[in-house]
Amino acid sequence: MIDYLALAPEIIIAATAVVVLLADLWLVRKYWTAIIAVVGTTAAAIPLIVMAVSTVGDRELFGGSYVVDPFALVMKGVFLMAGYVVLLMSFSYVESDNYYEGEYYFLLLVSILGSLVLGSARDLISLFVGIELVASPMYVLAGFRKGDLKSNEAALKYYLLGVLASALLLYGSSFVFGLTGSLTFDGIASVAGGLVHEPAFVMAVLFILAGIGFKVSAVPFHFWAPDTYEGAPTPITAYLSVSSKAAGFVALLAVAYRAFGPASATWAPVVWVLAALSMTIANLSALKQDNIVRMLAYSSISHAGFMLVPFVVAPYVGADGLGNAVAATVTYLIIYAFMNLGAFALVIAGSRKAGSGTVDGWAGMATYAPGLAFLGAVFFFGLAGIPPLAGWFAKFVMFRVVLTAGSGWAVGLAVVAALNSVVAIYYYARVVKAMWMDPVPATVPDREVREAAVPVPLALALGITAAIVLVVGAAPGLVTFFSDATKTLAGGG
Amino acid sequence: MAWFDNGWGLSLIVFLPIAGALVILLAPKKNLTAIKSFGLTFTALPVLLAAIMIARFDYGAGSAFQFGTDLSWIASINARYHIGIDGISFPLLVLSTVLTMLAVIYTFNHWPEPHNPKAFMALILVLGTAMNGTFVALDLVLFFVFFELVLLPMYFMIGIWGDKTMMKVPGFRIEAETRLYAAIKFFVFTLFGSAFMLLGFLALYYRSGEVAPFVRTFDIPTLIQAGSQGAFTGTFAFLVFGALFLGFAVKVPMWPLHTWLPDAHTAAPTVGSVLLAGILLKLGSYGFIRISLPILPEEAHHWAPAIAILAVIGIIYGALACLAQSDMKRLIAFSSVGHMGFVMLGISTLTVVGINAAVIGMVAHGLITGLLFFVAGSMAHRYHTREMAKLGGNQKLMPKMGAILGFTAIASLGLPGLAGFWGEFMSLVGSYNPALGLNLGVFRTAMVVGAIGTVLTAGYMLWMLQRVNLGEPSGEWGSHALVDADVYELTAWVPLMVLIVAVGVFPKLVFGATNGAVAALVAKAFGG
Amino acid sequence: MVLAAEEAMMHASDGGWLAQGAWLIVVAPFLAMVAIVFFGKRMPRKGGEIAVGAMGFVFVYSAALLILNIANGVIYQHSILVAQLGSVSVEWGWVVDGLSTMMYFVVGTLSFLVFTYALGYMKGDVRETWFFAAFSLFAGSMLVLVSAPNLIQLIVGWEGVGLSSYLLIGHYWEEKENSSAGMKAFYTNKIADVGLIIGAIVLGTAVGSFRYSDILEAAANNSSVLVPVAVLGGVLLFIGAMGKSAQFPFHVWLPDAMAGPTPVSSLMHAATMVTAGVYLVARMYPLYAGMAADMRVLIVIIGTITLLIAGLLAIVQDDLKRVLAYSTVSQLGYMIAALGAGGYTAGLFHLWTHAFFKGLLFLTAGSVIHAVHSNNMSDMGGLRKKMPVTFWSFTSASLALVAIIPFAGFFSKDEILATLGHNGYTWAMWIGILGAFITAFYMGRAMFLTFFGTYKGEAHVHESPAVMTVPMAILGVASLIAGWVNIPGVYEGFHHWVTERAITFTSFSAEGFDVPVMLTGLGFALAGVIVAYVIYFRDAETQQARDRIRIPVLWPLLEHKYYLDDLYLATLINPIKGPIARAVNWSNSYIIDGVVNGAGVVARLVARFVYGNLDQKGIDLAVNTAAIVTGSAGGQARRLQTGKVQQYAAMTVAGAVLLVVAIVIFT
Repeated sequence: MIDYLALAPEIIIAATAVVVLLADLWLVRKYWTAIIAVVGTTAAAIPLIVMAVSTVGDRELFGGSYVVDPFALVMKGVFLMAGYVVLLMSFSYVESDNYYEGEYYFLLLVSILGSLVLGSARDLISLFVGIELVASPMYVLAGFRKGDLKSNEAALKYYLLGVLASALLLYGSSFVFGLTGSLTFDGIASVAGGLVHEPAFVMAVLFILAGIGFKVSAVPFHFWAPDTYEGAPTPITAYLSVSSKAAGFVALLAVAYRAFGPASATWAPVVWVLAALSMTIANLSALKQDNIVRMLAYSSISHAGFMLVPFVVAPYVGADGLGNAVAATVTYLIIYAFMNLGAFALVIAGSRKAGSGTVDGWAGMATYAPGLAFLGAVFFFGLAGIPPLAGWFAKFVMFRVVLTAGSGWAVGLAVVAALNSVVAIYYYARVVKAMWMDPVPATVPDREVREAAVPVPLALALGITAAIVLVVGAAPGLVTFFSDATKTLAGGG
Repeated sequence: MAWFDNGWGLSLIVFLPIAGALVILLAPKKNLTAIKSFGLTFTALPVLLAAIMIARFDYGAGSAFQFGTDLSWIASINARYHIGIDGISFPLLVLSTVLTMLAVIYTFNHWPEPHNPKAFMALILVLGTAMNGTFVALDLVLFFVFFELVLLPMYFMIGIWGDKTMMKVPGFRIEAETRLYAAIKFFVFTLFGSAFMLLGFLALYYRSGEVAPFVRTFDIPTLIQAGSQGAFTGTFAFLVFGALFLGFAVKVPMWPLHTWLPDAHTAAPTVGSVLLAGILLKLGSYGFIRISLPILPEEAHHWAPAIAILAVIGIIYGALACLAQSDMKRLIAFSSVGHMGFVMLGISTLTVVGINAAVIGMVAHGLITGLLFFVAGSMAHRYHTREMAKLGGNQKLMPKMGAILGFTAIASLGLPGLAGFWGEFMSLVGSYNPALGLNLGVFRTAMVVGAIGTVLTAGYMLWMLQRVNLGEPSGEWGSHALVDADVYELTAWVPLMVLIVAVGVFPKLVFGATNGAVAALVAKAFGG
Repeated sequence: MVLAAEEAMMHASDGGWLAQGAWLIVVAPFLAMVAIVFFGKRMPRKGGEIAVGAMGFVFVYSAALLILNIANGVIYQHSILVAQLGSVSVEWGWVVDGLSTMMYFVVGTLSFLVFTYALGYMKGDVRETWFFAAFSLFAGSMLVLVSAPNLIQLIVGWEGVGLSSYLLIGHYWEEKENSSAGMKAFYTNKIADVGLIIGAIVLGTAVGSFRYSDILEAAANNSSVLVPVAVLGGVLLFIGAMGKSAQFPFHVWLPDAMAGPTPVSSLMHAATMVTAGVYLVARMYPLYAGMAADMRVLIVIIGTITLLIAGLLAIVQDDLKRVLAYSTVSQLGYMIAALGAGGYTAGLFHLWTHAFFKGLLFLTAGSVIHAVHSNNMSDMGGLRKKMPVTFWSFTSASLALVAIIPFAGFFSKDEILATLGHNGYTWAMWIGILGAFITAFYMGRAMFLTFFGTYKGEAHVHESPAVMTVPMAILGVASLIAGWVNIPGVYEGFHHWVTERAITFTSFSAEGFDVPVMLTGLGFALAGVIVAYVIYFRDAETQQARDRIRIPVLWPLLEHKYYLDDLYLATLINPIKGPIARAVNWSNSYIIDGVVNGAGVVARLVARFVYGNLDQKGIDLAVNTAAIVTGSAGGQARRLQTGKVQQYAAMTVAGAVLLVVAIVIFT
């Protein structure tokens, strides 16, 4: 029989999606669809909590290809929270433009559903399904600003490249199946150790890496990101830069530590290169951005690089070390998620007030919107990783893992990361500096616009994220409590 | 008073200011009185508590950590809320609480432009927490967080309330507003250093697990224990010391990592310069004494000559640079390079005398240079220029202000009988007779060069007095109605002057606390 | 607390309550200073009375101490620990022994008299209150210096008097040259102090204590710890002494110091402060007499050079105070030379007599200047009748300085000459005798130009008020009798006073009269006076003209002070202040900071390159490779308006494929 509790979150989200779609047909007031979506997302969290507190251990379904373990629970929680915040951000944004709200929320929910599936996926097929389920709705949503040519292009690029990446992923998966005769990660892991010198296997692993590398937009698979981020509706950009990236990392964690754990010596060097490139190239590119969203796009690429760093220690450490590596990436992921969501929420609010989305356009915001200016300092310096804002801890655990691996390679990467985190400060500080220290430009709209109140849902999104960034910075235990639970992903293999 | 001794006292000293900052953020922007009274309350209470500690501190056990507590903080990385003070950190903590309060008092009628008391006061208070916290932290992670926490407030202080004149970046075709250039330079420069400091901390954490019987820990006393038992050696230790050196030396600042300092000090608003010079610089040298030396004694031995050489270069270099300044604040800023050079020289000797000298040197520099920046700020506030060429005859125009400036400048050149003397003289004593195994030639040369440095120090200080205080005032001030030091200024300054004399005449005020702790440190790390 | 070494000298008392309370005379001036600062302005005499009161107390107390010492010798020392740094202890305390009681008395007496004189002299001055505060600060610092039982406290007092000197020389700081003169004094001393400080550290570290008693005991016992550093330490301390006591080549600051008010010149720059160096050498005498004896010849050489060159300079001055200033330098040279030659008592004896008559000379000079409103002798003349008290005081003091029997200077200078001769420094003795001639000459010159002939000034001349004349009269008497305390064969009390020391040592003074030397000295002195009389007694147009006629060869050299100041400026001060400082500042902005800013600029350039070429344009290049690898012609396919999807796609493939190739090769 099937453990329906284990599937409850997915079922609830799926149901909500359908309801939203139907409701869209009858309801006159479209924003009800949004409310339904929010309610659904919130409801989906309930079974998670139930499972989290229940004494029953890991719940395996479909012959171990779909597992609800602490890792899955935590990641699903993150996805739901992120989705929730994105929904809040969407409200006013979607209202402001003539979107098909129903479809918008339907697609968003479907993508969230995909991420939930991904959290539990423990074989190549469900992994693929999850990834596609996350991505396909985004292809549409990225182009949702129908009037806008840029948006359409953004969608098209994202689509074409996304399909290509999926193809690589699928291609690699088929090879793996051919060589190992197994689809489940544990099954693959049991034989992977013997195949590390099999070129075909190596190639397969690397194709899968490349496919996922696209999802997490790691250099050199990142070229779609800036254009797409800039073109897509901002809430969707937020979702892309957080949830879909997170989905990619969930997949990577599962594949790397579970399926290809024994072959870590094969993929670790590749990840080393990907991480170093992502951090460096993205950071340097970000220095040149004047559009804040585009800057955040590059920043999110470099953060992907930081999140990749812990992977490189895999060959040098024992089970306990692997656990720490997983926890480090997850910790980083969680903290990054809220900082970045906050940053994008701020972009929505700020751009509306300043009538511009460029750094110069935001100049002097402190004079007419001190609250936003304060949040700007919180989110951007948070992303820069400056204590006491949450970001420092994300970097801290990352450094901790690489420096305790006892490997020169790891230390080398740590130095690269350290230098990059210094470079990064410059472009984050640049925005804050503009908001606080520069004179108000002429482009700023007149009083009633720039001093208009921030819509409640958006304010709520800002409030939640800011609170988390500030509190977690002082009490990082709140995050490690969850991220430590995910160590089992590596340990359990 | 058990609650007081078991961590509450210290925790209150550390967190009251930031609590005050939150309260102020809630206060209405218009209500200046509320902002002032909150600011004063939440900085005066720590001073009060510090005073109680002065009474309750066990000077006999200066080497033991007192008033401390050790609670779980971030369980998963074994980082703990471990705080406490010993004879070394105690004087610095007191200094920091007092200086913060005086800064608040001074601000009452010196709100820098743009006028935004709420934000400015809040930033001062956040700084207070950061500085106090660094001196009490006994856990590397905690230390790191507080150490970095000073950056944001200072960055905003300089960037928002700083000097708005345009400057040309020497050697490049770049024009920038002084405050913006100084702010980002300070920010990135310091973070560059502390990024490596963090790597160093983590490396220590990693290695501390490798040596029985220790588990991986960030706990400073435990690491000191491990260090004294030779846990950290070889290339590893060398690199770690180097990483920590980068972090601390930038903060001190040691030549040639000092160039952020003149810009930051010159651009910062008065209170900013005061706290920057008074406390922030000490965080670096304190880091050397608290962390680098005892945890990596062997490496300290290897690095000591290099540190000594850089220190004396700093002394001479700073003094000579001062002689070339036309901007009063910038001159004082450069003088810090020289004075901190003496502190580092003292530390580099690895002797009881030298390290004691370093601590009293820090305290004295905090009092003296803090006061110098106060006065310089008030004068710039009145004359609307810091160009010494334009000033002159200040003694005639503002007798009180002039007298205080004169007193402080004299103190700053290390006149015996005032606070500044002990740090300089004793660090020379220390470097004549450094720790066993250190190269006598290097250190004795350093002593002579340092002694010559005192001459140059006298040189630029008296020269500044002559240009600013003495002579006939130039005509353009005749028209201005220049008000002499007002009650707020005197309230903020007189305590400092009293302390400068008190520490000078009765150095036991500081040595009484430090000596035991330093002796224990040296004995443990360098076997006497 | 009595020292171990003193057990030997049971005959000496520990001074009882009088000695135990001696700290009062150190503290009193400081209290006076504080009181003056806070209340001075509101008082009738602007705080001067407070200062005089304090000095009166010091005078009485020091007199009592002196008598106590004369009666039955005092050796007392007390130290209070104010800080402990490992093995180094910092102590405040006070010493009451023969040497210090003598100094207390000199400082006490002169301070009391000069402060009183200043009440009149400074009346209505721009900064009367400030003057007395700073003057009290000096007296206090001087007593800290004299009472010090250890080198650290000595340094504290030493720099303290230096500071007050700086403040008081620059008392009229409205004129730049005055404040500059103050700075010159401070710097010169500060440079010499490097020697003092290092010397203190060297000796203190070697012995493990900064106390004189410990260091000198070690010296007296030829302790092995001192062997390697004794001579070095001796030289270093002496360098410090050279600064304070204005010995060649550090003497340049003293003449400029005359910019200060005359009471300052009298008390600090003639009677007391400048003798601190002499005092230091005397205090450390067990070292110089013993382990550091080898370097004493250096002391003699410095002393004799100084006494000669300074004396010559005094000849050509028109400014009366400068004449006296150079004369002071010259006399200090005598003292130093005497100490170097082993004449402990001789040196101190001259310090003692000189304090009275030179202090007085400045007071009289001040009185004259007060009257004629000019420092220049070319504006004076014929004041004999108009200012009788001043004249007679001046005469008495001059005779003492010129060393005419039975005035004070005669006995002390004669003892110095005798000591030099008897201890094998005959050459020095002859220079000393020549110096006596020069002294007599320039004093005669000053005397005749100031008080004889006709008055050349404009101001209406009048005798000074009693508050000034009385102290002068008292010192006039002292200038006569001060020498009678140490007449060989008659009464050698002074010798016993100052040798009342905790640590005994062998001194070679008090040789008794050496008649030939005495007569020669006296003869040269009289000769000097006569020559001066011949040249200067009868009036002539201007006296510079006369000087040029009489001193053709030396003149230019002397007029430029041997070009020493110019040398220092050209080789030391200006280079440091100018090019060197500027170069350092330049290197700071352009080299060190250049690296910092450069890093920032480079980062931006790299960023532009990376973003522009790698991240954006580089793709085109990648496409073709990718196209080949993938075998598709996608790279050539049609493009969207701006996007480069195929290229991105190809790039992605390329990325993957290249990785594969790489890894397959490397594994």
